[in-house]
Amino acid sequence: MSEQGPLIVIVDDDFDSLEIIRNILEPAGYKTLCFTEPMEALQHMAIEKPRLIITDLMMKFIDTGFAFSRQIRFDSRFSNIPIILITAAFSQRRFAVQPQDKRGLEKMGIDAFFDKPVDPDDLLGKVQELLGQSGKEQGK
Amino acid sequence: MNVEKPRILVVDDESGIREGCRINLEMEGYDVDVAEDGFAGLKTFKERGNYAVALIDLKMPGMDGLELIEKIRELDQDVVMFVITAYATLDTAVEATKKGAYGYIAKPFSPDEIFLPIKRGIESRNLALETKRLRQERENRLLEVAFERSKSNTIIRCMTDGVLVINRDKQIVLRNEAARRIIPGCENLPLPASLSALADLHEIIDFLNETATADFKPGIISREVAIGETIFMVNVSPVMEQGVASSAGAVAVFRDITELKKLETAKSMFVSMVAHEVKRPLGVIEGYLNLILSGRAGEDGQKQKEMLERSLIRARTLRQMVSELMNLTAMETGNFAIKRNPLNISTVVKEATDSCLDKAKEKEIDLSLSVEGPGGQDVVLADKSAMFSVFANLIDNAIKYTPERGHVEVRVENAGNYVKVTVRDDGIGIDAGEKDKIFDEFFRARNKYTARIPGTGLGLTVAKRFVGLHQGKITVESAPAQGSVFTVFLPMWEE
Ligand SMILES: Nc1ncnc2c1ncn2[C@@H]1O[C@H](COP(=O)(O)OP(=O)(O)O)[C@@H](O)[C@H]1O
Repeated sequence: MSEQGPLIVIVDDDFDSLEIIRNILEPAGYKTLCFTEPMEALQHMAIEKPRLIITDLMMKFIDTGFAFSRQIRFDSRFSNIPIILITAAFSQRRFAVQPQDKRGLEKMGIDAFFDKPVDPDDLLGKVQELLGQSGKEQGK
Repeated sequence: MNVEKPRILVVDDESGIREGCRINLEMEGYDVDVAEDGFAGLKTFKERGNYAVALIDLKMPGMDGLELIEKIRELDQDVVMFVITAYATLDTAVEATKKGAYGYIAKPFSPDEIFLPIKRGIESRNLALETKRLRQERENRLLEVAFERSKSNTIIRCMTDGVLVINRDKQIVLRNEAARRIIPGCENLPLPASLSALADLHEIIDFLNETATADFKPGIISREVAIGETIFMVNVSPVMEQGVASSAGAVAVFRDITELKKLETAKSMFVSMVAHEVKRPLGVIEGYLNLILSGRAGEDGQKQKEMLERSLIRARTLRQMVSELMNLTAMETGNFAIKRNPLNISTVVKEATDSCLDKAKEKEIDLSLSVEGPGGQDVVLADKSAMFSVFANLIDNAIKYTPERGHVEVRVENAGNYVKVTVRDDGIGIDAGEKDKIFDEFFRARNKYTARIPGTGLGLTVAKRFVGLHQGKITVESAPAQGSVFTVFLPMWEE
């Protein structure tokens, strides 16, 4: 049933987090692809371009999530794909990862930020909003 | 002060003079001893001592008066000696005075003639004694002061904290050894030196400047100051002279708190890591429950069940994490009661292996145990439950991080003075870059193979600490996609 919906790529190193987000999006009619490793997500995106990316700020390296988002931003093929960051926000090395405002988001190269666990309705609302924008661009 | 009667010794070979003196002087209130010649006189003086006055006849058989005077003077610096002589000439008198006599009395003499000189002599002796006492006292006090000074100098010198004394002109006037050592630029600074000579200290110079003023109020000002890599806690207090209301300057005590700070930072890092690690599974559980309750898990009972099962796994892991954390904290505060008894390590390893059989079976993993050496007699002095948890954890990990139908091999053998327990698997292995980190708190390799595997990242941390508490060692060898070998060495127990 979700075959026809817009494709959303989800990246999270925690299997359960992937499951939860997938189970929020799929019943709402989105098609999802889940990855636990950013590299694999990038490889797949070259074949099948998603309409939106949802990623966690990964723990492996504190800024893997950012690095991933930057990699997407700097890649002309993906640069206009909106990114939502969902993370169990906390500060490490006195480094606050939670963006405070729109400029903070821009700086991080992301379009929206959610704390884990994300509220399903909030997430769906934001997804719709972001897809609406990029949808226009792509002349949907 | 001297309630005791002044004591007088009379030495004369003429009994008439001896007894005459005794009677008259006793009547005057003196305590009198007599001796008939030099030897007897010296003997008496030695035995009773502490005479105020000695009347000594010059001409006596055996030891004469001059010799006796000499001998007595050697014994007593303060006794007042008079020479009694029938042949009073200036020469003998001078000689007697040289030897230490105070004056002379010419024979024959009336009682009245000796009272006055004796009285004067005693007065002068008392005066001399008092002077001497005062001088002694002063000397003692000086000594004491000198001692106190060197004592406090020594104390200040030996302090591990750096001490600087700054006067009101903002000059450093004193520094101790620690200050020279720990405060940059302080080592060879000639004193007194202006505060500004310590360029590296600019951060605190203003602060010290402020404090080294006359109206700096009693009390302590503390500030944390970083000089280069070193962090100091600087406590500054005014130097208040007794009875003077204003301060004469300031004493600054520098304590190196760099290590303390590091610990503090590590502690708060740890706390935020714990918070994060607790939040993560709670977020997952909440997420799943939310999906089920909001109907997003569908009417499909199977899907709901899966979500509940995953929640349960995360809840259990969280609970396990809490107990591992408690173990770690207990070990850190020294509250972990390790009960070390002679232990047959093969037995414990077998129990640990058995406890993992079900999990191995579930994944169809071939879990084998072999004991080599003298019939598994390998005895160590160890805490049984700690050892069980070490091996159960290693075997549990081996099963967790090995795909289905893999192999886990546990082996107990001797290695010199050590018992060697090896847990070998042919599982996912560990990246070379992560091998060093796996014993760190909360570290978990995060990749597509581990994403589904629940864990706390504390198991190996606890295991390593336990092994350490037993003077043992734990090592790891691993290659990605080939497998891992964890080896525990425990010192053999010799009775
Ligand atoms: N036998 C093994 N094979 C591969 N990786 C392992 C093995 N044992 C431990 N590890 C790695 O070390 C990490 C830390 O292990 P541990 O402290 O026991 O915590 P956990 O609860 O995550 O297993 C694991 O998350 C895993 O990445």
